[in-house]
Amino acid sequence: MSASRLSAARVLLARSVSTVKASHDQENEILIAQRKNRPVSPHLTIYQPQLTMVLSSFHRITGVAMAGAFYALTCGYAATSILNIPFDASVLVGVFASLPVAVKLSAKALMAYPFAFHFGNGIRHLVWDFGKELSIPGVYRTGYAVLAVTAVFGSYLAFF
Amino acid sequence: MLSLTSRIGLSSSRTILSSQTAALFRPILIRGIKTIPQPPGFIVGTVNDAYVPPPPHKLEGSLHWTSERLVAIGMVPLALAPFITGTSSVIDSTFSALLLYHCYAGFQSCIIDYIPRRVYGPLHNYAMYLLTFGTGVAGYGLYQIESKEDGVAGIISKVWKA
Repeated sequence: MSASRLSAARVLLARSVSTVKASHDQENEILIAQRKNRPVSPHLTIYQPQLTMVLSSFHRITGVAMAGAFYALTCGYAATSILNIPFDASVLVGVFASLPVAVKLSAKALMAYPFAFHFGNGIRHLVWDFGKELSIPGVYRTGYAVLAVTAVFGSYLAFF
Repeated sequence: MLSLTSRIGLSSSRTILSSQTAALFRPILIRGIKTIPQPPGFIVGTVNDAYVPPPPHKLEGSLHWTSERLVAIGMVPLALAPFITGTSSVIDSTFSALLLYHCYAGFQSCIIDYIPRRVYGPLHNYAMYLLTFGTGVAGYGLYQIESKEDGVAGIISKVWKA
């Protein structure tokens, strides 16, 4: 390649690429300005529901619900005891006994199934904590086992 | 057609929800709460900054993790005992005490996840204080239940048979 051709190519390149001189701080500012326009990563709703994520979220939901009920019961006892309001198990039993059968069974199911599920899935978590069943087949196998345990144990507690 | 500034990332061609529109979608409970604005890309400083690990804490980290697991393992037989052998005040008190810690640790995890200090600042601490206070009240209520009633399992069993 001749020297004149080379310099012509250089001129062409120099025309198509323009650079801006910027200090380190200015570069950082440009970078931060760019980040403002980057797309936000999508949230859980874009994913197809799968056994893994569904059981995980139900573990937390059932845990929070049952812990809330436990705190409501114990804090209720503490508050009524401090404020001298008559409240004990017989009050709860009286309220529950006055409910229609369908409501009673629904209430029992609402307590039994979350308990059975959280108990079973808790053991699944402990199995993982020992480093066992930490594979895709293992996660699904144990997941279906937990669902089976929930169906059997939960139904037994609620209806038998 | 993207403009030059948009193509190199200095402006946006997307329509971003205005802060007022975005506020409409926020849950009613937290609508009035002021959050700390986050830097673009949630990056503090530069990406080349060295990682500074948080200072070690006696109640956090691996010891905390192990204690949570020990409590959870201990709860497995105690939770099954009332169904198999029937309950006693020793079993019920032990289970209830472990359950209280289990709930406390679980609620702590929820606060860390949903009310992070990074976004909510001091509100994160207030939530933790409220949880600790609530756990103390629950502990007192638990003492009342264990001393005046047949324990938590006893109450549930009575309600179940009602």
